[in-house]
Amino acid sequence: MSNILQSDLFGKVRATVLYATLLLVTFLICFPLLWSLSTSLKPTTEIFATPPTLVPEEYSLEQYKSLIQGKDMYFVPGTKYRPKTSPPQHFLAWFANSTIVTFGSTVISVVISTLAAYSLTRFRYWGRRFIPYFSLLGYMLPSIIFVFPLFLVMVELGLTNNLWSLVLGYVSITLPFCMWLMWAFFRGIPVELEEAALIDGASRLRVFIEIVLPMAMPGIIAAAIFSMIVSWNDYLFARIFINSIQQLPLTVGVMHFFEGVHVNWGLMMASAVMMTLPLAALFMVIQRHLVAGFGAGAVKG
Amino acid sequence: MEVSLEKVSKSFGSLEAVKDIDLSIREREFVTLLGPSGCGKTTLLRMIAGLEKVTSGSIYFGDKLVNNLRPGDRDVAMVFQNYALYPHFNVARNIGYGLKVRGAPKSEIERRVREVARILEIEGLLERKPRQLSGGQRQRVALGRAIVRDPFLFLMDEPLSNLDAKLRVSMRAELKRFHMRLNTTTIYVTHDQLEAMTMSDKIAVINDGVLQQFSTPQEVYNRPTNVFVAGFIGNPPMNLLNGTLTHENGPALKFGPARQTLPPATHPIVSKCPEGKRLILGIRPQDISLSEAAASANLVGKVWLVELVGSEKLVDLACGEDIQLMAEVKAEQNFSVDQTVGVQFNPSRIHLFDPESGIAMRD
Repeated sequence: MSNILQSDLFGKVRATVLYATLLLVTFLICFPLLWSLSTSLKPTTEIFATPPTLVPEEYSLEQYKSLIQGKDMYFVPGTKYRPKTSPPQHFLAWFANSTIVTFGSTVISVVISTLAAYSLTRFRYWGRRFIPYFSLLGYMLPSIIFVFPLFLVMVELGLTNNLWSLVLGYVSITLPFCMWLMWAFFRGIPVELEEAALIDGASRLRVFIEIVLPMAMPGIIAAAIFSMIVSWNDYLFARIFINSIQQLPLTVGVMHFFEGVHVNWGLMMASAVMMTLPLAALFMVIQRHLVAGFGAGAVKG
Repeated sequence: MEVSLEKVSKSFGSLEAVKDIDLSIREREFVTLLGPSGCGKTTLLRMIAGLEKVTSGSIYFGDKLVNNLRPGDRDVAMVFQNYALYPHFNVARNIGYGLKVRGAPKSEIERRVREVARILEIEGLLERKPRQLSGGQRQRVALGRAIVRDPFLFLMDEPLSNLDAKLRVSMRAELKRFHMRLNTTTIYVTHDQLEAMTMSDKIAVINDGVLQQFSTPQEVYNRPTNVFVAGFIGNPPMNLLNGTLTHENGPALKFGPARQTLPPATHPIVSKCPEGKRLILGIRPQDISLSEAAASANLVGKVWLVELVGSEKLVDLACGEDIQLMAEVKAEQNFSVDQTVGVQFNPSRIHLFDPESGIAMRD
């Protein structure tokens, strides 16, 4: 009897400790996110309040408004004078740049890697066995090694300070891994399915579109997500390839909120939230596919 | 329409998978390509389907050379070993895909799919996805996909090998009935001789990419053309004994001290052979009888294993130093291990082979 009670008690203690630890870890992980969300919703006057407030005393969309409409830093009430000391806000342009570049590089990367991987798994030619491993090796080199040679290439192509330089740059880092992922995925799709469709009378292209692509969808989604994360979060390439403020993507653009010695934390945090939202939303929608895709790649690769 | 293969060969790099195969399959025939795994039978089937290019030789459907025709243009249907059902389509779409690709109107597709589903008794499954089906049901869907297009030729690549033993037997009978009903020419690949024997009009035995024999099941069983066919067909396999020919007191083969008189039917052939020529004697376990009276027999063996297989017993025998035999006897006959028995071959069932070429010696 006492034994049962003891084990019951032990179970309760164990569960409590377990959940407390989990809560703590979750809180630690989420804290920066919560903090930036909270800061972005405070009016400027509350941001530096002592003691700091985690939950804003007063909610305000002031930071977001400034982010989008521009902010007059040294605006003096009652005068029309707006000194040029403050940079005009380019947040929307940066956001658009990031979106275009991410979308462009992801589409190119996924299309090329899918076709390349399909070819590697289904046709016989020299090198088809080692190319996938070789390409993975390329992905393992740090991108700082590529960035300067690539910059010189962009100069030659006349693409510096152009969004295309970023699109191509990101494709060059994401393509090898995407191709390897798709290669692993295609290897798991039995070739008999395609042969059955060929005998059913479908053309190669039709087989690819109607039979192969639907089955490869989890892999394609995983590859796309990977490519999006890399492109959306890149700082290095954008810092080096782009030099006009209007052409910057978000990552480098928001660094302009470090105004000399003064850091505009309100704008910084609001942009952080705005940057996180699109990818977070995307994750929530397709995380099921993401897990399936990575799982399949891992097991069969 | 006839299917003819003329000197068809296939190489993968330096590996010759199929060598110079000639085969002529008549309309409505059920032909089995039988051989051990890796013998090239599947490659041959895939070449007929158009999934594999022919390295040399010609394949004709009727008078038409089809070597360079795409699989979809050959009017053949294939059932794969793993069924190859499209996992993202339901059963109805799986069956109807070939019709859809060929541009059949929707109502027509629906009608044909329903009809085939009725024949195969899978009407209740049309909305299901392949992963929700059992092995036997998948098999039927794969069959349905082949039947629905009403092709002139069915190609089947070990379609029963993924089913459990019991289902395999019933599907075997069902496939045979379908063939009798549809009367479509069928080429069936298997390594299971029982499937080949029970279903086929003709069997093509293949080994190492070479066609060994192409004839009816009875013929393949009763008159194997060479040592390979003799040893491959029949269960348990035929006993093959190395002996030396002697003409003393009539033609006979000597195995060490033992002597086996050869039946009159073989005399015209063996009389042309010189004394002392080495020959292989083939005798099926079913054609050996054992007696307890060892003394009067001309071949004596020692029992070293008795296995009961239902209505029969398989008896392993050692006759002298290096001759091992298997005999099949009625289950009622009792033999014990280490017993000495007399061994009698049914003389009319003796096969003779040339040890160098392996070819059966007949006139």
